[in-house]
Amino acid sequence: MDSKKFLNLTLIAVLLGGISIFYFNYNPTQHSFFIPCPFKFTTGYHCPGCGSQRAIHQLLHGDVISAFRFNPLMVLSLPLIFYGMGIKVKNYLYNTQSRVQFFYSKLFIYSYFGIAILYWIIRNIPYAPFTYLAPNGV
Amino acid sequence: METTNNPAGSPPDNNLVWAILCTVLCCLPLGIVAIIKSTKVKELWLQGDHEGAQKAADDAKKYSLWGAGIGLLFVILYVILVFVIGVAGGF
Repeated sequence: MDSKKFLNLTLIAVLLGGISIFYFNYNPTQHSFFIPCPFKFTTGYHCPGCGSQRAIHQLLHGDVISAFRFNPLMVLSLPLIFYGMGIKVKNYLYNTQSRVQFFYSKLFIYSYFGIAILYWIIRNIPYAPFTYLAPNGV
Repeated sequence: METTNNPAGSPPDNNLVWAILCTVLCCLPLGIVAIIKSTKVKELWLQGDHEGAQKAADDAKKYSLWGAGIGLLFVILYVILVFVIGVAGGF
């Protein structure tokens, strides 16, 4: 492991740590300086990512259920993101060529993104039970 | 478990994790282009087209980064409009 790579990763960790402290201390539902979703801002409809900032705030406080109410898809995707990024960091540090096998499965890719697009549509339907998928406050 | 460590036989990294991140955080149509490119990586690799596979992987990364770039551009525009110029009623 060379020191340049270690330094780069340290910088990223410090940046992510800073962002986490910010999201821990400020609740997006109570402060107006958060950047809204571009899609929501221009069209008024929810996108698959809407509610993620509010969900991250809740997650950092250990409240998984509230986070889930804001954006269930994001919460469920987190293990995938952590796993995928972890493999990337490992490859970077140790010059390995590890691959996440299911990221190459067409079934997985089309299912995941099919669900994301379906989720995008149905979380905008203003009737129960679809409203449960829209970002919901506590 | 789900990973292989075989330098000779590994296809290029298809960067799907960036496309997922794009979907749940900024969600831009470019993420979809990135996904389609991602699905091509292994296919081309198995056909023996290593150059094509590498190119598809690079394209997938490129589109995800473009998506993130456009997201960042929006953030900058929003900051200028709302905080600098002071367009009221933002959010």
